[in-house]
Amino acid sequence: MKGYRKYFGKKIIWLIITFIAAVLLNFILPRLLPGDPVAVITARTAQGVSEASAVKQIYEDYASKFGINKPMHVQFFSYCKNALKGDFGLSFSQYPRPVSDIIHDAIWWTICLQFPAIVIGWFIGNFLGVLAAYIRKGFDKILMPIFLFFSSIPAFGMAIILLVIFGIHFKIAPTSGGYGFDLIPSFSFKFIGSVISHYHLPFWSIVLISIGAQAVGMRSMSIYELNADYVKYSRFMGICDRKIVGYVFRNAMLPQITGLALSVGTMVGGALVSEIVFSYPGLGTVIYQAVTMSDYPLLSATTLIITIMVLIVSFGIDIIYAFIDPRIKAAQFD
Amino acid sequence: MTNTIKQIFHSPKFVVGFCIMAFILLSMIIYPLVNPGNPLEMIGLGSFQKPGTYVSLYDSIDSSSTIFKLPDAENNRISQKLKDEDRIAIMNWLIDYGVSESDINLSDTNSLLDLWWKNYDSSILVEGMTKAKRNYYMRLNKSLESAKRTEEYVVSHTDKELNELETVRTIENTDYVNIQDVANVKRLPLGTDNFGRDVLKELVSACGTSLRIGLIAGAIATLIGLTFGLLAGYVGGIVDDIIMFITNIFTVIPSFVLLLLISYSIGQDQRGASTIALVIGFTSWVWTARAVRAQVISLRKRDHVNLSKLSGHSLIRIIITDILPYIASYVVMAFILQISTAILAEAQLSMLGLGPKTTEVPTLGLMMNWSMLYAAHLNGSWWAYFPVLLTIALISFSLNLMNTGLDQVFNPTLRD
Amino acid sequence: MTTPMLEVKGLSTKYVTRFKENVYAVDNVSLSLEEGQSLGIAGESGCGKSTLALSLMGYYFPPLHYMKGDIIVDGKNISGLAPDEVRRSILGNEIAYIPQSAMNALNPTQKIINFIEDVIHAHNPDMSKMEIYQLAAERFETLGLSADVLKMHSVELSGGMKQRTVIAVSTILSPKVLIADEPSSALDVTSQKMVIKMFRELMDKGFIKSMIFITHELPLLYNVTDRIMVMYAGRIVESGTAEEMVFDPVHPYSKGLMNSIIVPESGVRDNKLTAIPGTPPNLKKPPSGCRFAARCRLATDECRKSEPKVQHFGSNRNYRCRLTEAQLREEHSND
Repeated sequence: MKGYRKYFGKKIIWLIITFIAAVLLNFILPRLLPGDPVAVITARTAQGVSEASAVKQIYEDYASKFGINKPMHVQFFSYCKNALKGDFGLSFSQYPRPVSDIIHDAIWWTICLQFPAIVIGWFIGNFLGVLAAYIRKGFDKILMPIFLFFSSIPAFGMAIILLVIFGIHFKIAPTSGGYGFDLIPSFSFKFIGSVISHYHLPFWSIVLISIGAQAVGMRSMSIYELNADYVKYSRFMGICDRKIVGYVFRNAMLPQITGLALSVGTMVGGALVSEIVFSYPGLGTVIYQAVTMSDYPLLSATTLIITIMVLIVSFGIDIIYAFIDPRIKAAQFD
Repeated sequence: MTNTIKQIFHSPKFVVGFCIMAFILLSMIIYPLVNPGNPLEMIGLGSFQKPGTYVSLYDSIDSSSTIFKLPDAENNRISQKLKDEDRIAIMNWLIDYGVSESDINLSDTNSLLDLWWKNYDSSILVEGMTKAKRNYYMRLNKSLESAKRTEEYVVSHTDKELNELETVRTIENTDYVNIQDVANVKRLPLGTDNFGRDVLKELVSACGTSLRIGLIAGAIATLIGLTFGLLAGYVGGIVDDIIMFITNIFTVIPSFVLLLLISYSIGQDQRGASTIALVIGFTSWVWTARAVRAQVISLRKRDHVNLSKLSGHSLIRIIITDILPYIASYVVMAFILQISTAILAEAQLSMLGLGPKTTEVPTLGLMMNWSMLYAAHLNGSWWAYFPVLLTIALISFSLNLMNTGLDQVFNPTLRD
Repeated sequence: MTTPMLEVKGLSTKYVTRFKENVYAVDNVSLSLEEGQSLGIAGESGCGKSTLALSLMGYYFPPLHYMKGDIIVDGKNISGLAPDEVRRSILGNEIAYIPQSAMNALNPTQKIINFIEDVIHAHNPDMSKMEIYQLAAERFETLGLSADVLKMHSVELSGGMKQRTVIAVSTILSPKVLIADEPSSALDVTSQKMVIKMFRELMDKGFIKSMIFITHELPLLYNVTDRIMVMYAGRIVESGTAEEMVFDPVHPYSKGLMNSIIVPESGVRDNKLTAIPGTPPNLKKPPSGCRFAARCRLATDECRKSEPKVQHFGSNRNYRCRLTEAQLREEHSND
């Protein structure tokens, strides 16, 4: 445990640095760029208002509400202070609902959908990848292009395909929402059943995409490992192939774990867009609404939350990884 | 060099990917020559017209006709009106009416209709049938009867002076016109989209725009990544520390989020296709930088680089002659991957409504966005979204295949 | 006469490249190894000696393919056995192997003891973990390694330690034949010495009954082995006792090979250091006639046309050349 202290310390410092960077970017990007979100909102609100002074009045109203007429550093500190309290202001599209309330409602849908889907897709993909690498020949020749093709389909594309096939053609799954539109969230059997039946399509569309991408990576990784000297040696010590595949699986999976930590952001991005296809009540749909309704506070808060989630997940994976791979431990004593 | 190229074209994966790409590029060049015009022109008034050949009804009246006595003409006419669900409805009615199920053959149109004509009477009240259902059967019966009738249609136009109808011509059910004689025929192999635009023409144009976005974004990302990677790897020291600091931050912060924030901030009016390409390029260089840096670090210690250093060659010269050639294959592969990621990124952005502005050029992502907005997937207009999806997947697939092929050539351990 | 521990008759194997070309890396090799004996195989890089090591195990997987010949281990012919049977009853158990790159031979993410468990369970599934640990700890300590090593991962070991651990693991089941492929070439001199000492101990304590030692370092062979075979282009060109082979080689290739090395005991030999000109032949299309002909200064047209026969002299010396022993000796003395 002692050996890990340095490693964890380094990881935590990085977590803090990236966290600060993420908050800064989230704050600064929209303010640095030529576009003026307040002007956009004003234009939307002031539609049909022809009098220039009235438009100016609306603009200044919003400007003071956002605090953009104050100096940059003052804005930043009040932004940070409010963000820490979980106060992201009021939503424009669902006025006067607070942004934090909307996010609070959506976040669990996204976590419960994406987390299991990415993990399960990751496991199945890795398993198939190592199998393809080990069997090679026909199995590999067929599976490999299929994996590659699957990983080439954008996540939302897979969502649409599944929706059309199972939701519309075979009518075995509902096509939109997170639960029946006639139900109110509660802990009844009917509601939970409805949630589960609405869960399938978005879930499997994310799983299928991650399977493809993971399998392709795992296959290459396993081929490297299968050519490693320890595989040859183990074979010549009479160890059966099943066990050796076990070694290879484990060793090839380790880089895949770090790979997951690094690619989780991309995967979440893809999965968020596929939420839109199903109008799933998660963060993806919230982003979509925020974009279409020009709801700037909502968009800014949602992206911040997503970034923080991704940061925490990659940090978590890094920590787990340290316990699984003995090489990390060994490196601490060098 | 020629040897490497020969080897590359021996890799089946690369060749398949290359062929798909070549096919896409060729059709992008050739199709606009065959079918010129603005891809965003709204030719149809309705939305989501299904694929097929559209013949001008107006012009066909004027065209010279000829008579064919085709034996199955009437049957065809009826089965056009008799959908699968209508057949099942007829069967249900007949069963409710008291015809035994074994006498009914769903696939045999003639016997089914014979039973129907023999038994159906709108005045019969079948027990338990709703009024709506009864009306449905009446309508069905009417449409079937119209298909059965044999009287001719009379085409007339209004004589303005006399203010009465003047017969132009009568149309028998055995009249045919040759499609060649009709002045206006429009072939829409993929139908029209929600705005009544030719989907195929739009798709070809969108494919070009998306590829251009991919190329620009990929080139920018590769260039930035290469520069940063070379500097960090070769110069090392404080330069390396600074670049790695930035790189590490941007590896964990999802580029998707950055992309989203930047595109949103730019605003709809400023977002052209090239702006989007720029933004994508500027947010996706991280991986290339990391990979190039790792390669350069391993190269830096090699003898030929040391020799160059001792000979007093300049930094630029060492990088160009002693380092770049060794990482060239790697950079090419990274570039190919960047192109496909950029095309996907554009599609994702557009799906969120943050793609290029919609009035100038179509992109694959915008086409997806439009068809989703107008619920093409829910109303069965597969032609509006499926070909687009397939194109995205094929472009990305062909690039990935080429990449794997290259990987196998340059990394012998991955060979079969 | 006792049955030899390992007897190989006319073994030929080949590699099949991914372009479906055949590389005949081991061609008609025969050898015999008595109990307590150690045999050295010497040759340049690419002469097929490592392939021979792999082929001797009787367990082939692509790209290596068996062609013909018999491998008889302690009276049992294993060439006809099913691969799975070879794996279960022979590998690690009767014949053990030490790979060329012992540095990477151990799975980096597995504890040594767990690997030993897997090795033993592959042959003897009933042995309990406790028994295995006791056996392994005892064996490691006898061989001068700490039992603590068992609980470590290979990444935590230094290069020399890794090599010795691999040797101890390979011989854990007291095999009849140990095949070591360049076990010491990657090590520094001190580690090399310890490894050599370890081989002697293994033999003395009866943990292995016989040994084949493959290397390009001839002085090492002279120190470790009883007999030496010289291999060239997939064939054995000469064999004899270590003493004879180092001081009195007759085949032009062996002669050249011995001349190209520096023998540590200075004064024992004072021949000038020479290199053999040329490179070994392409084994995809081995030349007809003598394979060494292209590089041999004694070669005649006859050599290039017909294959030389194996000739014998002395107690148990064989060489593959058209010339007689006397002719060869005369040629060598002209140098």
